Amino acid sequence: MNTPLNRRHFLRTATSLIALPALESLGFQRFASAASASAARIRPKRMIFLGFGWGVTQESWYPSLGQKGSSYALPAGLEPLARHKADFTIVQGLTNKHNGNGHYGSTFWLTGANEFGEPGQSFHNSISADQVAAAHLGKDTRFDSFVLDCGAAAGPSGHGQGLSLSWDGRGKPMSGPKNPVEAFHRLFARETASIEQQKAMLIQKRSVLDNAIENARDLQRGLSTADNDKLDEYFQGIRDIEARLSRDEKWLGVPRPVPGISEPKAGLGGYEEIKLMYDIMAAALQTDSTRVLTYRQPVSTLLTSLDVKMDAHTMSHYPGKGPEYLEASEKRDRAQSALLAGLLDKLKAAKEPDGTSLFDHTTVVYGSNIRTGHCLDNCPTIVAGRGAGVKLGQNLVVAKDTPLCNAWLTLLRGSGVPATSHGDSTGVVNELLA
Amino acid sequence: MQNCLQGLLFRLTCLWVACLLSSLGLQAAEPPRAVMPERHRALLSQHCQGCHGEEKQKGKFRVDDLPLQIADAHTAERWQKVLNAINSGEMPPEEEKQPEARVKTDFLDDLSNVMVAARKSLGDQHGVIALRRLNRREYHNTLRDLLGVEMDVSELPSDTGGTRFDTVGASLFVTSNQIEQYEALGFEALEEAFSEYSRTVVPKKFHLEMETLQRVFLKRNKEALDARERAGRWVAAVDAAAKRPENAAKVAELRKIAKNDDALRYHWKKIPGAPSPVEFGFEKTSEVNPALIYLYRDKPEFIRYDEYYQKLPLLDQGIFLTVPSRVAGGNGVTAVPGFSIPPDFPPGEYMVRLRVGASPATSPQRRFLEFGLKGSLGQSTPALSTHHVTGTLEAPQILEIPFTFTRKNADRGHRNLFVRERGIGDPNRSEQMLSEGIKRNGFGPEAVIWVDWMEIEPKAAVTRITASGIRALGIPLNDDGDKFSAEQLRGALERFVVEAYRGVKAPAGLVDRLVNIYDSRKSIGDKHREALKHTLAAVLSSPRFLYRAEPEGNASQRRLDGFELAVRLSYFLRGGPPDETLRALAASGELLNQRVLLEQTDRLLSHPDAVQFMQPFLTQWLGLDRLDLFQFSKALFPRFDDAAKSAARQEVHETFAYLLRANAPITDLLNADYALLNGVLADYYGFQGIAGDAFRKVKLPADSPRGGLLGMAAITAMGSNGQRSNPVERGAWVLRKLLNEPPPPAPANVPEIARLAGKLLTTRERLQAHQESPQCANCHRKIDPFGFGLENFDAAGQWRLTDFYQSLDEAGRPDPKAKKTWVIEAAAVIHNGPAFKDYFEMRNIIASKKEAFAKGFSSALIEYALGRPCGFSDDALIERMVNQARERGYASRDFVRSLVLSKEFQTK
Repeated sequence: MNTPLNRRHFLRTATSLIALPALESLGFQRFASAASASAARIRPKRMIFLGFGWGVTQESWYPSLGQKGSSYALPAGLEPLARHKADFTIVQGLTNKHNGNGHYGSTFWLTGANEFGEPGQSFHNSISADQVAAAHLGKDTRFDSFVLDCGAAAGPSGHGQGLSLSWDGRGKPMSGPKNPVEAFHRLFARETASIEQQKAMLIQKRSVLDNAIENARDLQRGLSTADNDKLDEYFQGIRDIEARLSRDEKWLGVPRPVPGISEPKAGLGGYEEIKLMYDIMAAALQTDSTRVLTYRQPVSTLLTSLDVKMDAHTMSHYPGKGPEYLEASEKRDRAQSALLAGLLDKLKAAKEPDGTSLFDHTTVVYGSNIRTGHCLDNCPTIVAGRGAGVKLGQNLVVAKDTPLCNAWLTLLRGSGVPATSHGDSTGVVNELLA
Repeated sequence: MQNCLQGLLFRLTCLWVACLLSSLGLQAAEPPRAVMPERHRALLSQHCQGCHGEEKQKGKFRVDDLPLQIADAHTAERWQKVLNAINSGEMPPEEEKQPEARVKTDFLDDLSNVMVAARKSLGDQHGVIALRRLNRREYHNTLRDLLGVEMDVSELPSDTGGTRFDTVGASLFVTSNQIEQYEALGFEALEEAFSEYSRTVVPKKFHLEMETLQRVFLKRNKEALDARERAGRWVAAVDAAAKRPENAAKVAELRKIAKNDDALRYHWKKIPGAPSPVEFGFEKTSEVNPALIYLYRDKPEFIRYDEYYQKLPLLDQGIFLTVPSRVAGGNGVTAVPGFSIPPDFPPGEYMVRLRVGASPATSPQRRFLEFGLKGSLGQSTPALSTHHVTGTLEAPQILEIPFTFTRKNADRGHRNLFVRERGIGDPNRSEQMLSEGIKRNGFGPEAVIWVDWMEIEPKAAVTRITASGIRALGIPLNDDGDKFSAEQLRGALERFVVEAYRGVKAPAGLVDRLVNIYDSRKSIGDKHREALKHTLAAVLSSPRFLYRAEPEGNASQRRLDGFELAVRLSYFLRGGPPDETLRALAASGELLNQRVLLEQTDRLLSHPDAVQFMQPFLTQWLGLDRLDLFQFSKALFPRFDDAAKSAARQEVHETFAYLLRANAPITDLLNADYALLNGVLADYYGFQGIAGDAFRKVKLPADSPRGGLLGMAAITAMGSNGQRSNPVERGAWVLRKLLNEPPPPAPANVPEIARLAGKLLTTRERLQAHQESPQCANCHRKIDPFGFGLENFDAAGQWRLTDFYQSLDEAGRPDPKAKKTWVIEAAAVIHNGPAFKDYFEMRNIIASKKEAFAKGFSSALIEYALGRPCGFSDDALIERMVNQARERGYASRDFVRSLVLSKEFQTK
C-alpha cells in the first residue's frame, strides 16, 4: 500500500497538476549572469497584491474626478507617493457588485464572488486573481505564490473572513506566514542538512503524507456527501504539501538565495512590520523565489504604531465624528502611501540581469474592497509597475460600477496569463492599457 | 427536585419520540419565510416601474414581475439590487418624484429584514452538520487531556471573529499550512510529554522570604540617611569657619564670585579652618565638587521617604510595597518585588502563594495588589490578576493564585514573577500618586501592603504522567528501554490510537502504516524515543484525530452511537474529549439511556471543566471580545484600569456560571436584584464592605442601576470607543442579544452624515440626524431609543448624570471655550412600542420580553452545540426548548438539558 507508486497515482488524480521547474529555468537561476541572451530578453512577469482592509479617507485620498488623465493634482493622502506620480495609475469607479458586507475589505476583493452563491450554504467564495496568476506564472519558481498575512491583527483591520487575500481554486481560504520572521525563514532559511539527508527527510515526509491520505480515505468511506466535501479540504491540504515537496525535490541542491536583507527582528508591529514585509516581498522577487505575492496588511497595529489610540473600525467611520477621527484616518492614509512609495523605490532599484528593473516586469496592485465606512463603490485601487503594460501616471475614471474583476482580468492578461474571464468580469478595462 | 427532574425527563423523552416519529413521516411544507408585504407594490409601481417595467427596461432591470416571495437566489439578487439602489440614493433618480419619507422608510425597513430572512432561509442547512474540525481551543484541550501538556496554539487560526460560533463546521477550514502546524505542534506536545514522563526529579516548592530582597535596599536607605546627616554636619562646619571674624576679609572677597552660601562652600579650601568633606565620610571627589554632598541634603522628599520607610514595622520579616519614582529613588527596589521561577520548574500548572496584610489607616482603594509575569516590558508589564488584600499586619492572610506556566514564557526572559500595588504599572499613575503623597505629607504615598513571603509550588506534578495517551502506551519511552517485542509495539500503537480517536478503534491497516513509519525512522538513524514520537505525531495530524467524524451509515438520519454522543456532549459542555466516565458509559451503551444522558449533562455542568463551555460560549454569544478592541482613556477613566476592566468582564462570566450552577432563571440576565461582585468590582461600583477576590452574590439596593446584563460595566463599556459612549452600538446590542430582533447588517453605500462633525451638540442632537433620511431612519428608529436609555452609563460603565462635548482647537487640544455640558435625558419612545422615562423603566420593559430573550439564547445554544447555523428549520426545536424552560421559570439548565435530550442533538 505504502509505495511511491500509490502516491504518484494520488498526485495524478489530483485536480491540479503539479508543474515542476523547467531545466532552463533552473540553470538560469543558478547562473543568472551567464544566462543566454534569449532568456534575458523576456523577463518573467510578477504580480503583487496588497490589501489594506478599512478603506481610505474619501475627501483626501482620491484625486478630483474632474482632473482626468496625467495632469491631476496629487491629493494629500497620496502625497508621499509624489516621486512616483508618473509610475502609478489610480483607477476610480471600480466595484464588486456582489459584496454587500461593509466589513469585508478583502474577502471578495480579488475573487468577485457572491457570498450567497451556493444554496444551502451561508458562505461561498471562489479563486482569487493572484492564484489564477500563480497557476501560470508560478511554474518555474520555488514557490508558485507567496501568501502573507498579519495574523491576529487581521480581525480588527477590516479584512473580513479569510486567512489571507488568497483563495484557492475551490474558493477555500489560503494561509501563509503571518509575520516578517516567519516569511523570511520560509524564503531564505539556509539548509544545513546534506543532500542525502534532505532526500531521506523527503522520503520520511512522504510516508507521513501517505499515511495521512490513507487515514483520510478510511474516514471518507463512511461519510455523507456533505462531510466528504469538507474532508476534501484536508485532501487538498495534503496535495498542496505534496506539491510543495515535489518542488523541494526538484530544487534539491539548489541553495536558497541570499536575500540581500538581514534577518528581521521579531516582535515589530504596525508600520515597521509592514515595511519589513515589503522588503521581504521585494527580496522574494529579486531572488526569483516566487513571482506572485499577496499581503493582507494590518491596519489596527499600524494605528497603534502611529500613536493613534482609537480602534481601527471606529476610525474608519470618521465622518460625523470629531476632527481627531478624520485626522487619524488621514494619518493612516499617509503612512500607507509612504510604505507603498518605499516598496516602489525598492522595485525600481532592483536591477534585472538585462539592465532593466524589477519595476519594469512587476504589477503592484494596492487597494481594498471598502472605500470609506461601509461604502463599497469606487473601491480604492492603485496599479503600479510596468509588468502588465498598463498606462501609468493616470487618474483614470472608468464607467461607474465597472467590476473590479475587469481590472484583475486586464492585469492578468497583461501579465501573459491566458484568462478569458475572472469572477464577475464582463471584459477588460481598455482604458487601462497603454 | 428528583421528582421534578423525572417529570422533565418524561416529557422530554416523549417529545423526542414524537419528533422521531414525525421525522419518519412526510415533513410538512415549510411556510414561506421571506415575503415582501403586498402593500409595498405601490412604491414600486409608482416610482420604479416607469423605467423598469414591462415596456421600458432601463439597465435591463424590471420590477413589475418581481415575486413578493423570495424563494430562490435569483429573486434574492434582484431584490438586493432594489435595496442597494434605494439605500445608496441612486434610485429613484434625483430629478424624479421621490416617495414620501414615511413610505420609503417602511419599505426599506421591511425589505432589509426580508432580505435577512431570505439569506437565512436560502442558506438553511436543514439540520445538516458539516464535518467538524476541532477548533483551536478544542484542539488545545484535546492535546492536554491526551498528553497532559499545555501547548501554545496561538499560531493556529483562532476560528473566532466571524459571524458564527467557532464550533460551526462549515467555517472551520483546513489548509496545507495548518496541517503542517498540526504536525509540528503534535510533535512538540509529544516531546514535552515524553520528557515530562522521564523526569526523575519533581520540583517541590520554591519559597522566598521577602525581607531578604530589601537588605541591600535598607542598607542603602540607612546610608542615605546617614549621608544626609553627615552633609548637614559638614555644611555647618564650613559655615562656622566662614563666620569666624578672622576670616571675614577672605569671605568678603569670595562673596564677589560666590553669590550665595552654597556657592561659597565650593571654595571651602580657601576658608581657613573649613574641614574637608572626606573627614565626614564623603568621597575624595566631593572635595572638588560639593554638589555631591548637596545631593543628599537637597532631596527632602526622597530622604524623608527613606526615613519613613525605615520606621515601618515588620521590616525584619517582610517588605512593604512602595510606589516607584521616576526620579532616582531608593524605594524602587520594593515597588515590584518577586523572583525568577527556578530553572528546573517545567511549564505546567502551579499555585503561587503570598502571605500579605495591609495597614489599617489607609484608603480602601489601595488595598489591591497585582500579580504578574515580567516579560520584556519591565515595570509596565500588564498584570495577570489583581487581588484584594483583606488581611492585616496583625493577622495577615495567605493569598492563593493559580498560575499556568506555559511553554511560551518558559525561556529565561519571561520567568520573573512579581507583585506590585495596583495601578503602579502605569508610570503616569505612579507619578501622580507620588506627587499627591508629597503634597499631603511631605514624603510620598504611605506604604500599605506588607508581604511576608511568596512561594510557588506545582499543583499536582503527578497528573501529567497519567495522561490517557501516555498511560495507554505502556512501553518504555526512553532510548535505553528498547526491550519490547514487535507485538508489544503494535499493542502500544493500537491503544494510543483508541485514546487519540476518542474511543474508536484503529481501522485496518493503520497500525501497519504506523509501524512502517516507526521502522523507517529507525532506518534513517533515529533512536526508539525519536522514532516513536514521529510515529505518534502522525496520529495527531490524521483526520480522525482532527475531525469529529460521524459516519453516515445506512440511514440518512440515524441515531448517534454511544461514543459519538459522548463526543458531542463532551465537546459541548467541556470543550474537550470525553473523560473516563463518559467513555465507559459510551462503551457500555448506557449513555444512550436518556436518564443517564441527563445525569451526565448535569454532572458536566457542575464540573469545573464546564468553564470550557461557559467562557467561549458567553464570549461569542455576547460579543465580549469587543472590550479588547480599543483602549480606555486613562485620563478620562483613571479608575477603569486593567484590574477593573478584567473584573468587569469576569462579572459577566461569574453571573452566567452562577445561573447554571444554581439553575436560576436565565432571564435574570435581563434584570435582577442581585449582582455577582468581588472586592475590585464592588470598589469600582462604589459598594462598601465586599472584600476579597472571590465573586459572590450580593443583594443590591432597590435603586441600583446594577443587576442584569445592562447594569454590568463590561456591557455598557463595550458600547463605547473608550472615550465616549456609543448609543448606536449599545442599542443594536440590545436588539441583537436581549430582544432577539437583530437589526439587518449595516447597509453598504449609505453615506455617513458628516455635516455635524466637530459641532457643539448633545449626543441626542447629533443622532437626531438619523431620522432625516429614510435610509438611516428605517433602522435607527429602532436602535437609537435603547441607546438613549443607556446614556446614564459613561464609556467605562459608570453611572453619570451629565455628559459633555468638547471641540478641539486648531492644535488638536480640547478647546475650553468650546465645551458643552448637558444633563442626560434618558427618556425615549421604543419604535412601535411604549415610551420610557428613564433607564429603569426601559430596563423593566426589556425585562418583560422574557420569551424573546429565551428564544435568542436557545438559538445561540443550538448553533454552538450543534455546530451549524440555526435556521428556520430549527424553529420547532427552539419552541420546544423555550416551552420546557418557561414551565420551570426559564431555569437556565433546562435549556441545555432539553437541547441535549432533543432528536437534533442525538441524530447524525
